[in-house]
Amino acid sequence: MSDKEQTITAIDGKPRTILLVGNPNVGKSVLFNALTGAYTTVSNYPGTSVEVSRGDCEIHGVRYQVLDTPGMYSLLPITEEERVGREILLRERPDVVLHVIDARNIERMLPMTLQLIEAGLPTILVVNILDEAERRGMFFDIPLLEEKLGIPVVGAAVRRRRGLKEIRAAIVGFDTTLRASFGYASDLERDVQRLTALMTADYTIDARSLALLLMQKDEELLALVKDKEEDNFPAIEAALREITFERRVDLNLRISLERKRVCKGLLEGIVRQEERKGRPLAEHLSDLTMNPWTGIPLLLLILYFGLYQFVGGFGAGTVVDFLEGGLFEEILNPWVIDFCQRVIPWYWLKELLVGEYGIFTLGIRYAIAIVLPIVGTFFVAFSLIEDSGYFPRLAMLVDRVFKLIGLNGRAVIPIVLGFGCDTMATIVTRTLETARERVIATLLLALAIPCSAQLGVILGLLSAVPGALLVWTGCLIGIFLFIGLLSAQLMPGERPMFYMEIPPLRMPQPRNVLVKTLTRMQWYFLEIFPLFIIASVLLWAGKLTGALNWLVNALEPVMRLLGLPSETAAAFIFGFFRRDFGAAGLYDLQTSGLLSPVQLTVAAVTLTLFVPCVAQFLVMQRERGWKVSTGILVSVTTLAFAVGWALNRLLLATGMLQ
Amino acid sequence: MKCAFCQKDIPEEVPEKSCGQCVGGCRKVHCPYCGYANPLPSGWLERMFGRNDDNQTDGNNE
Repeated sequence: MSDKEQTITAIDGKPRTILLVGNPNVGKSVLFNALTGAYTTVSNYPGTSVEVSRGDCEIHGVRYQVLDTPGMYSLLPITEEERVGREILLRERPDVVLHVIDARNIERMLPMTLQLIEAGLPTILVVNILDEAERRGMFFDIPLLEEKLGIPVVGAAVRRRRGLKEIRAAIVGFDTTLRASFGYASDLERDVQRLTALMTADYTIDARSLALLLMQKDEELLALVKDKEEDNFPAIEAALREITFERRVDLNLRISLERKRVCKGLLEGIVRQEERKGRPLAEHLSDLTMNPWTGIPLLLLILYFGLYQFVGGFGAGTVVDFLEGGLFEEILNPWVIDFCQRVIPWYWLKELLVGEYGIFTLGIRYAIAIVLPIVGTFFVAFSLIEDSGYFPRLAMLVDRVFKLIGLNGRAVIPIVLGFGCDTMATIVTRTLETARERVIATLLLALAIPCSAQLGVILGLLSAVPGALLVWTGCLIGIFLFIGLLSAQLMPGERPMFYMEIPPLRMPQPRNVLVKTLTRMQWYFLEIFPLFIIASVLLWAGKLTGALNWLVNALEPVMRLLGLPSETAAAFIFGFFRRDFGAAGLYDLQTSGLLSPVQLTVAAVTLTLFVPCVAQFLVMQRERGWKVSTGILVSVTTLAFAVGWALNRLLLATGMLQ
Repeated sequence: MKCAFCQKDIPEEVPEKSCGQCVGGCRKVHCPYCGYANPLPSGWLERMFGRNDDNQTDGNNE
């Protein structure tokens, strides 16, 4: 044992502390087990429900207590696990922090190393999973990275026990005087200096790091600063407010981007990609999906095969034909109707069960024979695309276009989810940064995003009429962009920047696709089945009381203006209960031969743009308030009929689709 | 479970705020990092197909 090590043990008397930090799934616990062996304890961190593992080890005669912290992506916590992880970092006053990262994702994980260094924590970087990275042809200049970062860096594959000796040596030989600093853009540096100059209390992390976290709106640290600074706090708070006002950008995003830029510079010359092995196909494909010149054709291919062929052709065509035309129309319906006619003497009950709007002949048939196969095939396609990691790339691809309509790539999440269910997607709009974005996204969801079943039925119906699908798609995209542009003009505001870490593209896992599809179908079926039954009962009651007839008659002049037969009014009334119910109504009209190609196209466009269903309206009201939701309802309804009228005139005047 | 959008790990105990519109309860987990609504498989599906082993792929996990 060296003199230095003996001194360390003798002075402290108690074990020194090593903290393991890093993203989930980077091998922290494998390293924890390798360092501590079998004698470890797992307990909740005091005052929390988050479990933390503790163990002891002795390295070169020096005793250490090792803590395995919960996975965290950044020092700015979002989840309870991250909050506890940061609390451990701040409270335990560790002697060494081992930041474990995945070599394959070094660019995504290095920003947290920078945060740890900025915080003044005694950090050692462990670049783990090197074996896998090397197998992919990635090679690292570890000494150069160490030189650039100014902290010890160890390359490792701890699962194979590679690098453990070096990690132990780095822990024992750690020089606490090491202190690196990374410069950001001058305006940010000025803000940081302004804040650090005002802070006078003693903190467990560096003032520079504290200032950056305050600028990133870290409420917890703001409370800590308030507590510690006492009379000095108002000056800090005022400075912070001024900085936020002057910048007028999302400082959190700005700092993250700046840190990314620094990391990119640090990694120059560090990672060498073996040429002979070439870049993996997934990386090439990933680049192609985000480049507008190749990304848009790829998107069209996905839409063509995933939606048009699979959902529209196979789901709404083959499967619905089999279930609706074969099973229900030829076998089940005649048998059930005949049975009810024979055993039920009351007209009203026969009507309720097997009448025009009967529970079996309408509700159950729509739910099982029309909607379920369509949403089933849609969910298969959706889960396949989702599991491949394509959606984040779509967000990057459409970011530029979305910025024109007052949104950014982040809005891809609610818009994409809207194709599943607009009601749920309306709730997800709360993740958008500004009120302006939330209103625009809610409006576009209510107007131009058809839900899965509606989309499937319409694709199935229109694909049988040459040109109709093209007209419908053109109308929807045109309205989406036009209303988006108009909204962005009428509601001026800032355009928040969009940035996200792009996860790797991968081959969809059959198990994931199957489980996600079945989960979504189960959820959808549980939700729609009772509603379809309730809607049937309401329509039955409406028919018996004459209220439905009155409503159909009231809508007749509107239908006439659109050039549609009066029977189409029923599909619009269905559509207000649920969008998919309305689409199924349209399916019935078309299969009965009541609609010409022009009428079918006009009805499909109007019904897609038509008012949000009851559930979506209620959620809109809750999320955006009465004023905005009523405004959206009125404008969407007016616009739907206005577009339907104009489209009918245009198609008749030009002779298209005739 | 991993978020299907950003692929970050969603902690087991996410404070769920469901919209309350779905009959039979909410079957979704909103990612705390990106807000994406992930489907939450029911018990019988997990028993039938096993738990999601997304985070077991590299063999270096905790």
